[in-house]
Amino acid sequence: MIRRRTAARLALAGLALAPLLLGAGEARADEGDEAATIQLWHAYRGAEEEALQAILEAHRAAGGPPVETLAIPYDAFGSKLGAAIPLGEGPDLYIDSHERLGDYRVRGIVAPVGDAFEGEAAFRSNAVQAVTLDDAIWGLPLSQKCVALYVNQGLLKEVPATLEGFAGLRDTLPEGVFPLAYEAQGAYVHSALLGAFGGSLLGPDDSFGFVGDPAVRSLNLARALIDGGVVPSDADGALVTNLFRGGKAATAISGPWLAADLEGSGIDYRVELLPKVEAADGAPMRPLLTVEAVMLSPEGAKRADVRALARRIAGPEAAALRQERARTLTARADVPLPPGDKLLAAFAAQAEVATPMPSAPAMRATWEPANRAIKAFLRGELDAEAATEGARKRFDDVRRPLPPPASPTPLLIVVGLLLLYGAFSLVRQVRSGELVPALRRSIPAYRYVAHAVITVGLLVILPLVVGAATSLWAGRPETGHYVGLANFVDILTARGGPLLATGSFYVVLLVTLLWTLANVFFHLAIGVSLGLVLSRPTMKLRGLYRVLLIIPWAVPNYVTALAWKGMFHRQFGAVTGLINALNQTFGLSIEPIAWFSHFSTAFTANLATNVWLGFPFMMVVTLGALTSVPGDVLEAAEVDGATRWQRMWQVTLPIIRPTLLPAVTLGAIWTFNMFNVVFLVSGGEPDGTTDILVSEAYRWAFTREAQYGYAAAYAVLIFLMLASVTRLGEWKAGRRAAREAAAARAAQAVEGGGH
Amino acid sequence: MVAVSVQQVTKSFGATKVLRGVDVHVPAGGFAVLVGPSGCGKSTLLRLLAGLEEVTSGSIRFGEREVTRLEPRERDIAMVFQSYALYPHLTVRDNLAFGLRLRKTDPAEIGRRVDEAAAMLGLSHLLDRLPKALSGGQRQRVAMGRAIVRRPALFLFDEPLSNLDAALRAQVRVDIRKLHDQLGATSVYVTHDQVEAMTLADVMFVLNGGVVEQQGAPLEVYDAPATRFVAGFLGSPAMNFIKATIEDAGGGGLRARLGDGSANLALPPGLPARPGQAVEVGVRPHDLELCDESAAEIHLKVDFVELLGPEIHAHCVLAGAPVIACLETRTGVSVGDTLPLRVRRLHLFDQESGRALR
Ligand SMILES: Nc1ncnc2c1ncn2[C@@H]1O[C@H](COP(=O)(O)OP(=O)(O)O)[C@@H](O)[C@H]1O
Ligand SMILES: [Mg+2]
Repeated sequence: MIRRRTAARLALAGLALAPLLLGAGEARADEGDEAATIQLWHAYRGAEEEALQAILEAHRAAGGPPVETLAIPYDAFGSKLGAAIPLGEGPDLYIDSHERLGDYRVRGIVAPVGDAFEGEAAFRSNAVQAVTLDDAIWGLPLSQKCVALYVNQGLLKEVPATLEGFAGLRDTLPEGVFPLAYEAQGAYVHSALLGAFGGSLLGPDDSFGFVGDPAVRSLNLARALIDGGVVPSDADGALVTNLFRGGKAATAISGPWLAADLEGSGIDYRVELLPKVEAADGAPMRPLLTVEAVMLSPEGAKRADVRALARRIAGPEAAALRQERARTLTARADVPLPPGDKLLAAFAAQAEVATPMPSAPAMRATWEPANRAIKAFLRGELDAEAATEGARKRFDDVRRPLPPPASPTPLLIVVGLLLLYGAFSLVRQVRSGELVPALRRSIPAYRYVAHAVITVGLLVILPLVVGAATSLWAGRPETGHYVGLANFVDILTARGGPLLATGSFYVVLLVTLLWTLANVFFHLAIGVSLGLVLSRPTMKLRGLYRVLLIIPWAVPNYVTALAWKGMFHRQFGAVTGLINALNQTFGLSIEPIAWFSHFSTAFTANLATNVWLGFPFMMVVTLGALTSVPGDVLEAAEVDGATRWQRMWQVTLPIIRPTLLPAVTLGAIWTFNMFNVVFLVSGGEPDGTTDILVSEAYRWAFTREAQYGYAAAYAVLIFLMLASVTRLGEWKAGRRAAREAAAARAAQAVEGGGH
Repeated sequence: MVAVSVQQVTKSFGATKVLRGVDVHVPAGGFAVLVGPSGCGKSTLLRLLAGLEEVTSGSIRFGEREVTRLEPRERDIAMVFQSYALYPHLTVRDNLAFGLRLRKTDPAEIGRRVDEAAAMLGLSHLLDRLPKALSGGQRQRVAMGRAIVRRPALFLFDEPLSNLDAALRAQVRVDIRKLHDQLGATSVYVTHDQVEAMTLADVMFVLNGGVVEQQGAPLEVYDAPATRFVAGFLGSPAMNFIKATIEDAGGGGLRARLGDGSANLALPPGLPARPGQAVEVGVRPHDLELCDESAAEIHLKVDFVELLGPEIHAHCVLAGAPVIACLETRTGVSVGDTLPLRVRRLHLFDQESGRALR
């Protein structure tokens, strides 16, 4: 019997291990013909991917080694590469935007292309400039992308020669049609205007470039265009597309992607060079140029066959094929444009007057400050100097030098002491002779809980410890160093700035507390009220209402958040629609609210969304708790003279309070960390004021130079705060229980055990 | 102190008629007991008095005041619930003070009344406890205290003793009656226990199937039950019933031919029965008396004997019907004896209507 069971177990174990063994065999097989296969990663889809496959087939047909391709979403590209290449699992070559080169180079996941490069003459000079870092070529340019001017030919025959000239169009265009639509709020398109004035977002030596005369003049011009009704305010990419597609904008500044959105719209358009700027002495607007390039991993760069493949992908036949099949604008100088393709010709001409996006890692840190500066200025909160100077400070703050490496000795001493203490107490217990028998007795118990302990350890404890440890480091993961508690000191001293400035830990904490309190208040008020209403047995269709009211909770919260964000859009949101309807019906003249321009309204928008998401939970908990309120106690109160209101406040609520309390604690913790709503609805607007601690931590980790240590320190602080508040609550409850027990015991003693 | 007058009250829950025209009159300061088997509508009637339910038809008056449509808090009543219904989140003190606080009574006055009630009920040392730390008897007293401090014109009790053990029940029963006498307010007390009803009531209302079958002073009702139901419901052990047919005994007298016809019982003169009528003869177990063979009206053979101490219950069969006789212990009756018995008093009920014939 026993033997049969053992055999069965062995068989099971064998089955479980089989894939591992087979996998190992496969891996070995991989290594066997590694020399032959080339790994290629890209982010292409549709026609572009087909073109790439055709090119690879041609290469194979010409005797090249087999190529395995992997399509990775664009947003995940960098992190996947960074994770795979150092482990030797990544691609030999990959296709990505040139502006990431600086970052990849710092992380050591890209290498110069060496003899794969045919020479400067083969490519457009802008493209070559884009992939050149410190005189070496780090990628083979494939295609280039930038914005240009779309013109609706049905609305406009003659395009004004200068940007200022667009103002004159207002009188000739139909009512409600903007002369020009572009994303005035964003630094990406604005930098074309900045370029006309000779400025750039990133200055020399990785300094912040969006300051000084060019910045101020470009901003003033942008405001003049908006104030003059030439350009719509609050425009984002989707709005620009909608306006142009709907014939509500005579021209639009956008990239090749707009052409795809215009398919089937019936709009008769052409593409032209961006206009010149009179205020800049007639200099042309200079958009940012993005160059797509083939890049080689350090391992791949060593292989001649990989370099040959890269050369072919960037070669003239491939370029022609891509141009023909996917209509991508080639970066090569020696491949003619398809004859008659005016769109491609226009973008090619624009690429000549574009500025390659700087690929230095510092470039990524310019966006957030620049975007905020433009928004604050256009909202009229700050003048141009103050806005750009503030942006520079923010940039410098993010780019500040890392704290100096700290000696790990104190940490080692603390860890050592802890280990020593542990060892000491273990030894003492073993000596006392109780531990070993106790352990032996408990072995079956340990066997029962082992899998749970291991799972929790791996999935909960380990990440927690790693996260906490990360907070003691600074810098990027590849280049960081141990800094002790410097991150915490930085956070708690607001990095040397004023303690109560926007974005300082204390202000964000205050906002977070306000956010949590307001949310919990409304969750409770609405949830409990609805619970009370729905628990009344006389109500008809109770079941239906319950289901309807639980729906907000059942929908994934990011879906709800995005829906609400749409409703709060200033021009096209449902709230504005409601206001317009009110205005029309009652002849009022309420202005549509720019929800995300002020702290109060942006906070309210976030609050409304999260209240909508959160009240069903409280409602459900209340419904459950109400079943613990005996009906006759309520009747006793009624006889005692309590009104309905008094019964609710003095009987029902106190009785369900203990049941609600854990739910409130839980709700408070969820709200305190409600990243999705804050990030998706207001996104911290305006100016990061509505950010809460978690979304702030997220920004430090993912939009500000990958300062994971700094972000982890935020996370540790959040954890400590929540843990101590929860513990405090438990401690208080414990004390109350102890007090009651003591009182009962005392009374028992007095009574002497009678009835 | 207020008189209670319930007139032609009916109450239905949906299609179920629970009360079908009830009249109840309690004089001011009286102690009325509503008694009846469970499900007969006692609690419903009490809740109508409290205002927790609304009458379907009929009217309720407290003294001169029409209260039929008033809210409970406008009726100046206090109620003790079967489950006690103490506020679980309040200490005993706050439980007692709750109603007074709602009425914005002066705090000093509240303190005085709470202390007084607590002293009266022996709760003084429990004032700071929560209900969950009390025994059943203590909770019951707190529920009483909560009613007392309010000094209402009318006390309503819904089976307040049914959750207590037997010994405690007997004691609290006495306490309740004493309190009533002390406080002087009118009380309406609901119970299914006929002993409680007999011992407590000034006036008793026997409910059955949503109507008052009989009302009156407990002893009156006990001695002269108006229906077979009332006769069977009151008294312990219950009255013995034997189906019978009336026969002419000759000489102007009537007799009842009992059960299977194996025994007869002469009826006292003056009963409104006619020969041939189908009746039930009712005899309380205590109305059966051992006597000399010569004076015996019936003979019973003892099947089984219960010894209760001062008396014994002899289980016998009379003309095919089971009969219990309560006899003094010293008579030394044992199983197998044939007892010569005299019927001290008998009741006669019409089989069809169940009404008493007298
Ligand atoms: N709220 C109610 N809804 C429906 N039926 C009820 C309700 N309350 C009582 N009843 C019914 O009325 C009858 C009398 O109930 P009740 O007055 O509580 O009897 P009791 O004499 O045992 O106190 C019972 O049959 C009970 O089922
Ligand atoms: Mg009842």
